[in-house]
Amino acid sequence: MSYLVLVQNGIAQGLIIGLAALSITLVFGIARFPNAAAGDMLTFGGYAGLFAFSATHSLLATGLAAIAATALLSLLMYYAVFRRLAGRSAVSLLVASIGVAFMIRAVLGVSFGHGQLVYEIELTRPYIVGGVRVSPLDLKLALIAFVTLAAAFGVLYMTSIGRQMRAVADNSDLARVSGIRPQRVMASLWLLAGALTAIAGVMLGMKTIVAPEIGWEILLPAFAAAIFGGIGSPIGAVAAGLILGVAQELSTPLVGFTYKIAVSFAVMCAVLVFRPRGLFGKAEAVR
Amino acid sequence: MSILSIDDVRGGYTEVDILNGVSFNMEPGEIFTIAGTNGAGKSTLAKAIVGLLPRVSGRIAFEGEDLVPLAAEDRVQRGIGYVPQVANVFPSLSIKENLQVVAGVAKQKARIEELFATFPTLGQRAQTRAGSLSGGERQQLAFARALMPRPRLLILDEPTAALSPAKVADAFALIASLATLGVSLLMVEQRARQALAISHRGCILDGGQVALLGRAGDLLADERAAELYLGQASPNERFGQESAVL
Repeated sequence: MSYLVLVQNGIAQGLIIGLAALSITLVFGIARFPNAAAGDMLTFGGYAGLFAFSATHSLLATGLAAIAATALLSLLMYYAVFRRLAGRSAVSLLVASIGVAFMIRAVLGVSFGHGQLVYEIELTRPYIVGGVRVSPLDLKLALIAFVTLAAAFGVLYMTSIGRQMRAVADNSDLARVSGIRPQRVMASLWLLAGALTAIAGVMLGMKTIVAPEIGWEILLPAFAAAIFGGIGSPIGAVAAGLILGVAQELSTPLVGFTYKIAVSFAVMCAVLVFRPRGLFGKAEAVR
Repeated sequence: MSILSIDDVRGGYTEVDILNGVSFNMEPGEIFTIAGTNGAGKSTLAKAIVGLLPRVSGRIAFEGEDLVPLAAEDRVQRGIGYVPQVANVFPSLSIKENLQVVAGVAKQKARIEELFATFPTLGQRAQTRAGSLSGGERQQLAFARALMPRPRLLILDEPTAALSPAKVADAFALIASLATLGVSLLMVEQRARQALAISHRGCILDGGQVALLGRAGDLLADERAAELYLGQASPNERFGQESAVL
């Protein structure tokens, strides 16, 4: 029975990892670099949500406020930094994103301190499902995550701008000679990436604590999930996030809470060695 | 007025010029072939016209308007279509999505139906991912995608390069039929003899410059062109079997 509890916790953790991984894989697929600022964008979302929750005690308002604030930050990052570096190597952009990450963390640390803040959530009686305690908050958070994922996939696969994003991810030059404006696509991409990390940040904040380092700690599992799922594959990122989340939790009795993150390291290394294109990735010709 | 005027165009991907002062005009309704040896600058010129070459100088005028200051996406809106040599479809998108994604198309649904009528195979497999198509089907989709915004000038970069020999004649037949739709065609092609056979005029590039320019028939008959650039005619070409393409 205790394993069912671990699986339940793993799904919650996996949704957080999956949302962050989806943001990373979208940016990698379209803007062509690994965005190391994704973790700190997530932290920013956690803080934005915390203040909204303190003011409203509404999950919906919290989610929307976090999305608005983090998407705006994400867009600002694009216009202030990444747009100016367009055309540079992926390594240059990666290093720039690390700089942006440190800047966000520093601003959060200076503004709100390095102490741990918590969402003041009222305790509620858990449901008992098949002998397993299920927290109503967990269910609500899972629902929010699924709605966010459904909305993100809806944007990607059912709207004109989503098709344009996927077209740019496939072939940016062909997209341009198809009349697609890259800057419009990029702006939409960064808004979407910000929204996804915002919800991940709110979920992580509600499940644990809010502190300037929480996003940095989730960054590695998120990168591992993006690679495991097949870099550039949105569905792969979410599926791999869930698998990693559950695997991490199930490993806790064996390796302890502190070292469960090592599972992500191990999975990332194994995938890179044995299946570099991941679960859903495409084989790419190299010449 | 010429539909396309190329005047002293120079440029390349880095500091080194690949195009060294290319000049020619193209008239409305023409099929115009650019031939030449490997490395002559044919595909580079095509990229310069559509706006994908990083560094270009000189004047490239479309219906009198200088294109050089315009971004690639703006050139599409002006009426220029482009079919690249490789990677000419979006592989993760379905056939229908490859057409829907083209920006700035008035009455998009009706236009897609028109193109599905022109290319029935595409219409029958509208939901199929483009990455799973055969070479010939992929070529049809590449043409359809480029035709979506109703271009007045279509630039084809090596349209037969990725096709099996059996499909080459079909591709040239398709290209010849496109001209009847009122589209001017600028074609970069290694199979120069077959391309010139369906063209009105053409030029031969050598070292990033126009070495020969003239009517297609004159170029095919030119001994120097035949010896240096076009190679020997195949038996099929000598006996005019490619005329069936027309």
